[in-house]
Amino acid sequence: MKTLFFISCLVFSMPSFSAKYGANKIQTLKWNDLEVVWIQDERFPTYALSVYFADGALSDSAGEKGMTSAMFNLLTSGTRRYSQKDISDNLEFYGASYGPNTTHEYSTYSVGGLVKDSIPTMKKICHLFQDATFPKKEISKEKKRALEGIKNMVDSHGALARRAFRQISLEGSPYGYPVSGKMKDVRGITQNRLSKKLKYFNDEVKKRIYIAGPKEVLNLERVIAEDCKWTGKGSYVRKTEYEPIKSSKKAQIVLVTVPKANQAQVRIGRFLNRGEYEKRELLSLASEFLGGGFTSKLMRELRVKRGLTYTVGAFAAGQKGYGRAGISTFTKNETIGELLEVTKSTIDQIVAGEFPDHEFERSRGSLSGSYPFRFEVTSAYLSQLQFLDHIGAPYDELYQFQERVNKMTREQISQVVGDIFGWEKQTVVILGSPKLAKTLKKKFGKVRIVSYKNFL
Amino acid sequence: MKRTLSLLGVILILGLTSCSNNTKEATNPSGKMGKLGKLKLSLDVKKFTLNNGLRVLIVENHRLPIFSYYTFFDVGGRFEGPGTTGATHFLEHMMFKGAKKYGPGKFDSIIESNGGSTNAYTTFDSTVYYQNMPSHTIDTIIDLEADRMENLLLEKVAFDKERDVVLEERKYRYENSSRGKLYLNMMQRMFEGTPYGLSVIGSVEDLLTLNRDQMFDFFKKFYTPDNAIIVVVGNVKASDVMSQIKKKFGDLKPSSDEIKAYKKEKDNDSLYVAKPKWGKHFKYHGNSKNAIFMMAYRGEPLGTRKAYVMDILSNILGSGSSSYFYQKYVKSKSPLLNKISVSNYNLQKNGVFFIGGELRSRTNLDKFRRTLQRETKSVCSKGIDDRGVQKTKNQFLVSYYGSVQDNAGVASFIGSTEKYYGDYKYYEKELEIYDSITTEEVIKVCNEVFSGNQQVFVSVWDRHKKVKGN
Repeated sequence: MKTLFFISCLVFSMPSFSAKYGANKIQTLKWNDLEVVWIQDERFPTYALSVYFADGALSDSAGEKGMTSAMFNLLTSGTRRYSQKDISDNLEFYGASYGPNTTHEYSTYSVGGLVKDSIPTMKKICHLFQDATFPKKEISKEKKRALEGIKNMVDSHGALARRAFRQISLEGSPYGYPVSGKMKDVRGITQNRLSKKLKYFNDEVKKRIYIAGPKEVLNLERVIAEDCKWTGKGSYVRKTEYEPIKSSKKAQIVLVTVPKANQAQVRIGRFLNRGEYEKRELLSLASEFLGGGFTSKLMRELRVKRGLTYTVGAFAAGQKGYGRAGISTFTKNETIGELLEVTKSTIDQIVAGEFPDHEFERSRGSLSGSYPFRFEVTSAYLSQLQFLDHIGAPYDELYQFQERVNKMTREQISQVVGDIFGWEKQTVVILGSPKLAKTLKKKFGKVRIVSYKNFL
Repeated sequence: MKRTLSLLGVILILGLTSCSNNTKEATNPSGKMGKLGKLKLSLDVKKFTLNNGLRVLIVENHRLPIFSYYTFFDVGGRFEGPGTTGATHFLEHMMFKGAKKYGPGKFDSIIESNGGSTNAYTTFDSTVYYQNMPSHTIDTIIDLEADRMENLLLEKVAFDKERDVVLEERKYRYENSSRGKLYLNMMQRMFEGTPYGLSVIGSVEDLLTLNRDQMFDFFKKFYTPDNAIIVVVGNVKASDVMSQIKKKFGDLKPSSDEIKAYKKEKDNDSLYVAKPKWGKHFKYHGNSKNAIFMMAYRGEPLGTRKAYVMDILSNILGSGSSSYFYQKYVKSKSPLLNKISVSNYNLQKNGVFFIGGELRSRTNLDKFRRTLQRETKSVCSKGIDDRGVQKTKNQFLVSYYGSVQDNAGVASFIGSTEKYYGDYKYYEKELEIYDSITTEEVIKVCNEVFSGNQQVFVSVWDRHKKVKGN
C-alpha cells in the first residue's frame, strides 16, 4: 500500500503541461516550390535528410507487385556513368548512410552523414534518381538473391509469422500483400518496369523534404533543384478507397505450419477500418496497458506469473487510410493452449473493467511520462513530423499528446480494448509445428491450416 | 566491439561541447579524419570514488528533463564455473524480481509508471543495467538500485518461473535461430577449454539444475560496490546526485579478501589461452535452407594496438557493399554468396576475428571453404589500400556521432571505457592509435591474421545431420 501511494505521488508530481520541446527549431521552407521541413540542430556536425514520396506499394498494379520497393532498393545498381561498385564506394567513402523505406501508402529515401560531405553525397543520390539504368546483369543477380532470401524465411519464424499475420489479418483489404512482393512477383521485375516506376516517382508523385542538422544543410537547396530536379510540380498523393472490412463474430484461428518447429509464434489482431484508428492517443494507451513494457497486463500474466513466454507486446495504430491492431508473442508447443487462454481472459477482464486503479495509473503514467524522450534524437523527432504530415494532422498533435493522455480514464480503456482487441473480432495466427493442430482444434473447434509456403 | 569504446568518445565530446571550436575543427574539407586524434576534447565528466570502491561518473546535460542511469558490474559469463553456466545472465533477470525495500513487481512498476524504461544485458565480461528516466525520479532510481545491490530477494517462486523464461529465451535466440546457433558454436570451438568457451546463456542442463543458493552465492560474490561503476547522464545536478549516492551506497561493504582472491584467479591470463582445433570444419544442423558459415581466426584482447588495426581490417574486408569480400563474392559476375561480413570481436582476455556469410543455394560448401581459404592468402596485397583505410576512418567517425545522440549512448560509452580501461578518458589514447594506423600496418596485420592454416570453419545448414545435443 505504501508503495502504491508512493507511485501515485511520483506520477502526479510530473509536469501537467506539455512542453513544445524543440518546436522553435522547426522551420518550414519552400525550395523551388517544394515543401521543406527543417529542424535546426547545431549540436553535431551531422545531418539527416529524408525525401518523402506520397505514394508507396499501393501504386503497384496486379502484375507488378513489389515493383516500388524493388525500384527504390535497386537505385544503386548502376547508372549510365557509374557501376554499382563506384556508387557504393563513393557513398561509403563519406561514411554516408542511405536507403529507402517503402510502405503501402508512402515511400521515403533517407540520407545521412557529415554535413561537410552533404553536398557531394546528395549530388550522388540525385544522380541515382535521375540516371539509374537498372542494368540487367545487376537486376538478375539481385532477383536471385531476393528469391533465396524469401525462400530462407523459414529460418526466421518471427519474420515469417509477421508476414503471414499481415496477409491473413488484412485479407480483403488492399494492405495485406507484402510491400516487397512474393517470389512470383520478384520474377516479374524487369529493367523496363523499374525505369517506368522511377519516372513515375520523379515526375508525378508529390515530394517533401525533411532535414535535421546545422544551418549548413540549407546549402542543399541548390542540389535538390539542379541535380535532383525536384520541384513542387509532382502532385499525386495516394488515396485509397475500399469497402470496410466486417468484423468477425467469432475469433478466426489459423495455424501456419512449419515442420519441426519447437516453439509457437503467436500473432493476434485485426484490420482497423476508417473511424476506428483516428483516436491515436487512446489506441496508444490501450496498447500500452495491454502489452507495453514489462508491467503491461499481458506481460504480468504471461511471463511474470506463468513463465509462458520471454516477451509479449501489443500495438494498435493507424496510418492514413487504415489501421492495424496486434498482439505478438511466442511460447513452447506444450503451452500454446494455456497462452491463448490467458491472453483471452486478460482481454476479457480489461473489457469488464476488472483491474485495479493503480494498474491503469501506471500505464497512463508510463505513456505520459515518456513524452520528453520523443524529442531526444532529432532524426526521430523529424520522423514524427513526417508522419503527421503524411496523415494530415497538425504538429500540435505531437505536443498535445501528454495532455490528452493525462485526461484519459479507465472506462475509456475498457471500452477501446473491447472495441479493438475484443477476442471475438480477432484473427489468431499461430505459426508452428503441424502437431499443434490437435490442441487448437480441441480448444477452438474450427482451425484453418495453411503451409508457410503460401506466404513466400 | 572495440569501436563502441573508442571513437564513440570523440563524438561524445563534440556533442556535449556543442558550439565549441572542437566541432569546427572536426570538419575538415577533404572527407578525411585527418587530425581528429589531436582534438583537445573537454568532456565534462565528474568522477568520484566512494570509500567502499564504488566509482561514479556524472555528466550534466540540461537539454531535456530526462536522464540515463547505467550500472556496470565487473562480472560476466567468464566468471562462471562448470555446472553453473548461465548463472550471470539468469541473475540479471532476477535482479528485476524484487529486493527488501522494493519488493516483487515494484522495480518495473515505479520505473514504467513514471514514463521510464529499464533493461539489462550480460556479456562474457560484464553485466550492465540501465534506466532512461524523467529527471524528477533521480533519487528514487538511486534508492532502487542501492536496494537491489544490497538486498536482493531471489524468491523461490519467481526464481522457478524465470527459469522457464530463460529457457524460452535460449530456444528463441540460439536453438531456433541458425545464426544464433552458428555464433554460439563458433565461440565454443574457438575458446574450448577456456571460460569464453562456455556460453553466456548457459547450457540447458545447467539452467535446469542451477539452484537459488548457487545464484545467491554468485550475487554475494560479485554485486559489491567495488565491483561496480555507476554512470548518470542528463538533467541532474552532479553534486546532488553524488550526495544521494553516498547516502544510499556509502555503507555497502566492499568485496572480502577471499572474493578478491577468487576474482584474481578468474582474471589469470593463462586461463584464457585457447587451443582451437585449427583447420577443422564443424557442421551443425539448423533450419537455414542455405548454408551459413563463420571462418574464425585468432583475435586480440581489448586494448592492444593490433586489436585497433584489426578493427580497420575487418571493416575494409567486410563492411558495406563496397567492401572487398562483398564485391568479390556477392556482387561478382557469378556470385557465390548472398551475404558476407567480417567482424573483429575483442573480449577482455582474448578475441576472435571472423568472416561470416550465407552461401547461394548452388554454391558447394566445401569447395567454397577452400576458395575462401585460398583467397585469404592474397587478400592482404589485393584488398587493402590507402582509400580503404581512409574510408574506414570516415565511417567510424560518422557511426559514432550516431551513437551519442542521446544520454544513454553517452552513458554507455563512458561507463564501458571506464570499466575496460579503468579511465573514461582512455578514448583520447584510442583516438591517437586509430589516427596513427597506416595502410602498411593494416597489410602487415592482415598477413599475420591469415598466415598458416590457423582457422576454424563452422557451418549451419538444414542439410547437415542432426546430432543429439546440437
